[in-house]
Amino acid sequence: MNQQSSKLQAKDLITVGIFTAIYFVIFLACAMLGFIPIFLLAMTFYGPVITGIPFMLYLTKAKKFGMVTITAVICGILMFVFGMGYFTMITALICGLAADFILKAGDYSSKKNTTLAYAVYSVWFIGNYIPLYLTRESYFASLVSGYGQEYVDTLRAYTPGWMFLVLLAACFIGGLIGAALGKAVLKKHFVRAGIV
Amino acid sequence: MTVIHPILALVPFVLLLFSRRVKAAVCYMIAYAAAYSMISFVMPATSGIISILIGATAGIIYRMMPSLITGYFVVNTTKVSEFNAAMEHMHVSTKITIPMSVMFRFFPTIKEESSAIKDAMHMRGISSLRNPMEMLEYRLVPLLMSVVKIGEELSISALTRGLSVDIKRTNICKIGFHFPDLVCFLLCIVCWICFVLHMGGIV
Amino acid sequence: MIQIENVTFTYNNSEEKGNLKNINLSINQGEVVLLCGESGCGKTTLTRLINGLIPWYYEGELTGSVKVADKEIREQPLHTLSQQIGSVFQNPRSQFFNVDTTSEIAFSCENQGLPETEIQRRIRQTVSLFHIGNLMDRNIFHLSGGEKQKIACASVSAGEPEIYVLDEPSSNLDVTAIDDLRDIISCWKAAGKTVIVAEHRLYYLMELADRIIHMRHGEICHEWTSEAFLKMSQAEVEKFGLRPASLKQICGIHRFGAHSSGSYKVRHLAFAYKGEKQSLNIPNLSLPHSAAAAVIGKNGAGKSTLLRCLCGLEKKCSSEVETDNKTYPLRKWAKKCYLVMQDVNHQLFTESVLDEVVLGTDSTDMEKAENILNQLDLLPFKERHPMSLSGGQKQRVAIAGAIFSGKDILLFDEPTSGLDFRHMEQVAGLMQQLKRQGKTLLIVTHDPEFILKTCDNIIHIDNGSLTEQYSLDRAGIAKLLDFFELR
Repeated sequence: MNQQSSKLQAKDLITVGIFTAIYFVIFLACAMLGFIPIFLLAMTFYGPVITGIPFMLYLTKAKKFGMVTITAVICGILMFVFGMGYFTMITALICGLAADFILKAGDYSSKKNTTLAYAVYSVWFIGNYIPLYLTRESYFASLVSGYGQEYVDTLRAYTPGWMFLVLLAACFIGGLIGAALGKAVLKKHFVRAGIV
Repeated sequence: MTVIHPILALVPFVLLLFSRRVKAAVCYMIAYAAAYSMISFVMPATSGIISILIGATAGIIYRMMPSLITGYFVVNTTKVSEFNAAMEHMHVSTKITIPMSVMFRFFPTIKEESSAIKDAMHMRGISSLRNPMEMLEYRLVPLLMSVVKIGEELSISALTRGLSVDIKRTNICKIGFHFPDLVCFLLCIVCWICFVLHMGGIV
Repeated sequence: MIQIENVTFTYNNSEEKGNLKNINLSINQGEVVLLCGESGCGKTTLTRLINGLIPWYYEGELTGSVKVADKEIREQPLHTLSQQIGSVFQNPRSQFFNVDTTSEIAFSCENQGLPETEIQRRIRQTVSLFHIGNLMDRNIFHLSGGEKQKIACASVSAGEPEIYVLDEPSSNLDVTAIDDLRDIISCWKAAGKTVIVAEHRLYYLMELADRIIHMRHGEICHEWTSEAFLKMSQAEVEKFGLRPASLKQICGIHRFGAHSSGSYKVRHLAFAYKGEKQSLNIPNLSLPHSAAAAVIGKNGAGKSTLLRCLCGLEKKCSSEVETDNKTYPLRKWAKKCYLVMQDVNHQLFTESVLDEVVLGTDSTDMEKAENILNQLDLLPFKERHPMSLSGGQKQRVAIAGAIFSGKDILLFDEPTSGLDFRHMEQVAGLMQQLKRQGKTLLIVTHDPEFILKTCDNIIHIDNGSLTEQYSLDRAGIAKLLDFFELR
């Protein structure tokens, strides 16, 4: 009897809000480790792995086009508010839309598609690193006033140009592993507990 | 840069003072001042790993704190309905505003649930870091379970009180662009222009 | 006003209990109807039929017709229905959408798209009707459960529906908050509204209810007027599996327990929350071995804080405990304590009941674990996921874990909130069993019936300090009933 229309209803939007909240909180908790410099880069990998758990649960409830995109856009906006630059909003929108299309292609039930969609979705985080490369010199120059020359030099040494591709791959592979982890936890707990 | 940055950093401090969050404002100012003096006075005298360490800790505070505190200010002093009203004025779709207002409401819930779970783990003596993967599972799984349940109940309650995307909502919050907003806005614009000029190497 | 004809309903989700069979019911304008019956009897499902959550939220197979004001429910969308029917639910923590109280009361009006001046008028009216001026412009997260529930009622009321549907609204409330809830319902009745309440606790609705409908296995099986219901004896009411119609009936139920030998003497317990002067200050408290003590007191008196201190969750709490002529610092003694939380879902972590029991210990003595499960009637479920069990079973799983790890003192925070008669009896039986096994119990509860069935001792706390501690003899029972204003 439920409205089977593909239009997003209030119920769906509340679901989006709940899961975006929990996804973002867990994501932030991961990012807190980023205070240690090396984790700042490793975050691209372990972030998507850990958040795979809430996200896979989310995907069992998100059955309409646009829900994942909204999650991505909100994450982008929040990162912007917290001072991570505007590139993230763009990457988030692109990744979210792409993930939604992949999900739609799998009719929101294909296991392969959910894994792929989450991996693609995870790439949104790369937006935070774009200033490191796109506007490299001015970005590092602006960092000096805060972090000091030596820190910036270390950071520069750790982030040569090809590193960007590594980070990109780390997001994606982290996403694939996170999806597998999330599905394992789903099967181990949520299915047996009757939540999904 | 050494002038603009502190001026901008003062903005959230003043905002916090005006909204009577004196303690947060003072803590923030002390942390910022400490980081600022570390960077300006101590760091030039050091080198090597110590310099990097100072850069990593003080630098994070110096660069991130102002925006994080501004975020804190926004989240702490904006009512959900005020936020909705503002978004409505900006013609943002309910597809963004409804999820975001749910998020505002859910952050404290997640905090409450999470601390209850932490307590429960402490009592069972499973707070050691023996196995990080297991720890993660014990922290996340009960949290997700209860958040999903609370979320379902929230949906039901909101729907039976007529929340819908098909009807235009009214909003009783009176918000608008007033003199204090103008001051903040102009100050930030001026600082931003200076920043761009600086980046361009003009100033 | 409401016509339900030949309705049969089956949930698509088999986890959901309370399918309905052949329901015929008609409710007139201005009536207050009380739906009662054991958990899973279908009373909640019936409320969902009326407020439109079936078929608009819960999916299932529905036959027959449900009409409100002569219009089919299934032909109107939820947001239209919500203008005529307001709903209040069980859990005060989950049913608010905003963070501040004023916006929350405006919420349903805003959703109707009413003009701003009208909304302001309705807020003022609701605030004065419910006497909640002191709650306005507050953060809902800082309110007590009873206050939250009042705000929930106010929010629904501001929408000015003709029909109110309440699903176990008193489950998480204490006695004072239940009194307030009764006042709210009587306001609605006085205004000529139709009210339908599904509820376990019956006593507070006796003066208000026009009809009492008893359901069993998804069918309506009895109907009384409140006069007829009040004439029934306690035994008859219990036979229907119902809570007493009047709290006066519970006076005779206390069973005196065996007197225990020693006791734990808690001394100089002091604790203050950050930024507060002194939240808890108890110079002397005695917990007899193998007995149950009930902690009573008003909301915010410090009952839950006391439990948290005793089981070591508040690290800044200082105290010492004397037992068998030996004195231990609280920190050490607290290792023998285990708190069973009000929301037991927070303390279940693993994927099977057996794993849950041995969690956190190095012991792999499965025989001992199975033994404990057997004593608690959980052995058949040892492979099940703890979260797939019923509320009472979950509670027992948590207790099993505590017993396995050698905890001797079990602390309970509201173990019977939201339970029907049969389940409350079960928990009471469990408490007796734990006492026989030599466990010492400390129970925070608002349920006088439960106290009389299980406890030997009363610890009355007010404003962070111990008002009185007394044993539950004849004079003690009189004091207890005075506290609950039952005499």
